[in-house]
Amino acid sequence: MKLLPLFLIESVAFLLIIAETYVFFIFVAPLTPLGLPHDLSGYTALALAKAALILGLVVVWFVVLDGLTAFYVRSKVGKTPRPAS
Amino acid sequence: MVSPLAEGALLLASLLVPFVLLLLAFPPYLRYLTRLGRVSEDVHKSPPAKVPEPAGPLLFAAVLVGEGVVALGFGSLFPAALVLGGAVAFAVGLYDDLFVLGGKAKPLLLVLAGVAFVSLVGAGVHLYGSDIYFPILGDTAPHFIIYTILVVAAFPVVTNAFNMMDAFNGEISWFTLLTSLALAVGVALRELFTQGFSPARLASALPLVGVSAAFLLYNRYPSRSFDGDSGSLMFGAMFAGLAVVGGIEVAAIIAIVPAILNSFYTLSSVRGFVERRKMSSRPTYVGEDGLLHASTAKDAPNTLVRLILLASPSTEEGLVASIVALTVVSCAFSIAISFLTWVF
Repeated sequence: MKLLPLFLIESVAFLLIIAETYVFFIFVAPLTPLGLPHDLSGYTALALAKAALILGLVVVWFVVLDGLTAFYVRSKVGKTPRPAS
Repeated sequence: MVSPLAEGALLLASLLVPFVLLLLAFPPYLRYLTRLGRVSEDVHKSPPAKVPEPAGPLLFAAVLVGEGVVALGFGSLFPAALVLGGAVAFAVGLYDDLFVLGGKAKPLLLVLAGVAFVSLVGAGVHLYGSDIYFPILGDTAPHFIIYTILVVAAFPVVTNAFNMMDAFNGEISWFTLLTSLALAVGVALRELFTQGFSPARLASALPLVGVSAAFLLYNRYPSRSFDGDSGSLMFGAMFAGLAVVGGIEVAAIIAIVPAILNSFYTLSSVRGFVERRKMSSRPTYVGEDGLLHASTAKDAPNTLVRLILLASPSTEEGLVASIVALTVVSCAFSIAISFLTWVF
């Protein structure tokens, strides 16, 4: 039972990975540029938008996992006796 | 075309040949390492035990033989791609074992393992489809360029993740055995339920299972051998390549979630790539009671091991049992994902 919180963190991590990979390949990767077909600025804007969206997905994963872990560590460190130095 | 009987025999051979080879070769190899003085201190023992290291060259030789059986038996080039990626990771790891690489140099050099792996695609070999299959939802449209970039980027990530799971007796061997088994089950399910899916892909996954099973006998507590970075990085590269060749990327990522979390904790708490020997504070320590404790220092880096030990101090065996339990859960999720993807 002592591993239950870590099992929960592990489950959240894996659910987020599946959801975000799906969002990436279904919604972000197929995006096409707005405007005329030969408008290079449209492609540049699209590449930047894709990079920003990917970064956003990564940030969401980091923030959620970091938050969960920080909560877990705070709840445990108070209960753990400090080593004699 | 290989007959079903010959196919079964080849699958068995690709699993058993490297397994038996390692069992036979380990004792003389360990004596050889000891004679050379290539032993490392097992710092979690009191007093520290001397353990022969690195076993990586022997493990890689066994993988080579296993993949050779697959290449000759099925006339397939999948093993060549896997071995190319594995060889680069092995070489980087061996250099690190002998001379020590910097925290940033290692991941950069490991990109080359991904480049070596995809190089055969440039030569016209059909290694992978660039669409990704999800459970229930089905597959995505193919995105060859994006997919190939992600494959190359995945090698340093996965190899480092495996490397970071190599700190305690039996940790890396249990982890590789369980995750490679989950991978092999996933590829087997895909082969069973997909028309025209080459059995060579499944056969390519089996040498890693055989090698890690044999290594476990020597690496489990109390370890008689350490793999070194040459072993752990090679395991990671083989796993990454197999996930791609087997076309079960999502299930493979899920199987190694404990290693991904471990890397994430380390990277987020030390703010970047730092060689573990240069960390300012240790995440754990051996207490006077002989048990492993989590450090409560504010600057102690978070690792998966520290989080487990925060729940309660533990023996080394107990700690590895906890890591194995986390890995079993992630591998069960991975097999469930494969089942939902290929059977439904």
